[in-house]
Amino acid sequence: MALPEVHNIAQVPITSHAFSGDRSQLAVSLNSNDVQIYSRSGTDFVPTETLSEHDKLITSIDWAPNSNRIVTASQDRNAYVWQETPDPETGKLVWKPTLVLLRINRSATYVRWSPNEDKFAVASGARAISICSFDAENNWWVAKHLKKPIRSTVLSVDWHPNNVLLAAGSADMKARVFSAFIKEVDQRPAPTVWGSKLPFNTVCGEYTSPAGGWVHTVGFSPSGDVLAFASHDSSVSIVYPGGPAIYNIRMTSLPLVTLTWTSEDSIVAAGHDCRPLVFTGSEAGWQETGTLDDSKSGETSRAGAAGASSVGRLKAGAFATFRDADTRGQSSISGSSPSADTKLLTVHQNTITNARPYEIHGDQVTRVSTTGVDGILAIWDVNAVTALTARVGGIQLR
Amino acid sequence: MDTAFRKIDIDIYDEDTLQESELYDADPRDPAQVLDDAKQRQAAVRSSLAKGDIGEALSITLDNAPYGPGVDAAKEITLQTLLTILNSTKSTEITGIIKTLSQDSQDTLMKYLYKGMGMPGWGDISGSVLLGWHEKLTEVAGTGSIVRAMTDRRTV
Repeated sequence: MALPEVHNIAQVPITSHAFSGDRSQLAVSLNSNDVQIYSRSGTDFVPTETLSEHDKLITSIDWAPNSNRIVTASQDRNAYVWQETPDPETGKLVWKPTLVLLRINRSATYVRWSPNEDKFAVASGARAISICSFDAENNWWVAKHLKKPIRSTVLSVDWHPNNVLLAAGSADMKARVFSAFIKEVDQRPAPTVWGSKLPFNTVCGEYTSPAGGWVHTVGFSPSGDVLAFASHDSSVSIVYPGGPAIYNIRMTSLPLVTLTWTSEDSIVAAGHDCRPLVFTGSEAGWQETGTLDDSKSGETSRAGAAGASSVGRLKAGAFATFRDADTRGQSSISGSSPSADTKLLTVHQNTITNARPYEIHGDQVTRVSTTGVDGILAIWDVNAVTALTARVGGIQLR
Repeated sequence: MDTAFRKIDIDIYDEDTLQESELYDADPRDPAQVLDDAKQRQAAVRSSLAKGDIGEALSITLDNAPYGPGVDAAKEITLQTLLTILNSTKSTEITGIIKTLSQDSQDTLMKYLYKGMGMPGWGDISGSVLLGWHEKLTEVAGTGSIVRAMTDRRTV
């Protein structure tokens, strides 16, 4: 089984990551106001450039694969489009920022280029999504707002492959599908399962999370005919608008915060449980099939020591430390006892906040990249799925 | 440092503030009917308990449990009924019973366990019974169920 490629990028959280189109470069934000660009050299990533312009934390980065432009969104309520231009003195290519007029009064939370790379969507805490397109006459990016009926912070967006429809997940417990049709940019789109007449700000669908969780992440399937979203009530919902069916999977583990479709019938999603999970299904139904993180190393010995019949991670690590202190009077902070080891059994050592397609063959994503609060970048083979039951005894699936 | 400003309700100055009622669909039944339902269920649970069918008694209580504002009396009756069931179950049987419940019922049960733990000394709440159920329920329904008990605004 193919092991994931693991890079220790930093000792601080990675708020967002994006690869260049050819995957030779990586842009990350290390929980700071700057974007750090890394270049792949052999098996390593070496820092090459720092993009500084924002004056508050950067929340999201996206790299347009074909036009090679980076867009960044930040808590300073601004977005910048970065383009490589030759320096007038040295002739060396440097990244030059262009300010985008977002016209929002709260932080920008998430940004994504549209498939045609002629516009991008910026989600924000101002209960609005700015749809930005380039105004060649004035040589700047202008924004149009999707406002209604958003009632709270928008946490994520995803573009439909037709370059017009946009899915958004927000903290008012709803996932919505909007039309982000800009007449200066877009051709009239062909009818889809989401509707046929699509002026700007048409709401094509509104879906509620089952147990009141704010929606962390949304994603259109490769065809754009299916929508998936994950919310903070530890559930994943898959919507077939034509169905009309919504499949809801309530998980036994912690909530997911990011997801990406890998083919028309499978999703890789990750979050507070620190490992990527795989969901598969079709119009007939969906289920959790396993995880990409089989992390066998030391699992049996440690899981055994921590009590194999327990609920997975509940009785490992910190929990075990406190339990031992309580029941046996052991304060095992010294490294000798296995239960004092707080290293998780998973590759990621903390919440995974970003999962993105890394390698695509035809219409199948074969590898996905993840980053998280632990500063690790991991690249996973999506076909290396391990059944969940094989991992840390005790987690029960029904 | 003066921190009193943190307690100022700034939302009252915002006409477009997000209301509690927008976060979930309200119970379609009116409060009087919810109270009636709760009383009827209490009777039904007593007869199931007399037969010794704890699984049935639990699902009767947990299906369509009252939620939202204005139904406090019904909520108290349901909690009281539930406590009767929880207290009269042998600890060896708990896991088996939990496994027969639907996912919805398991999540509702988790909410009631936390509600119970939040009001020590009320009625015949026994902390050790609740913790015993909580441990067994977490083994079956996982931490996801706890997360749902926390996020769901349809409080019981």
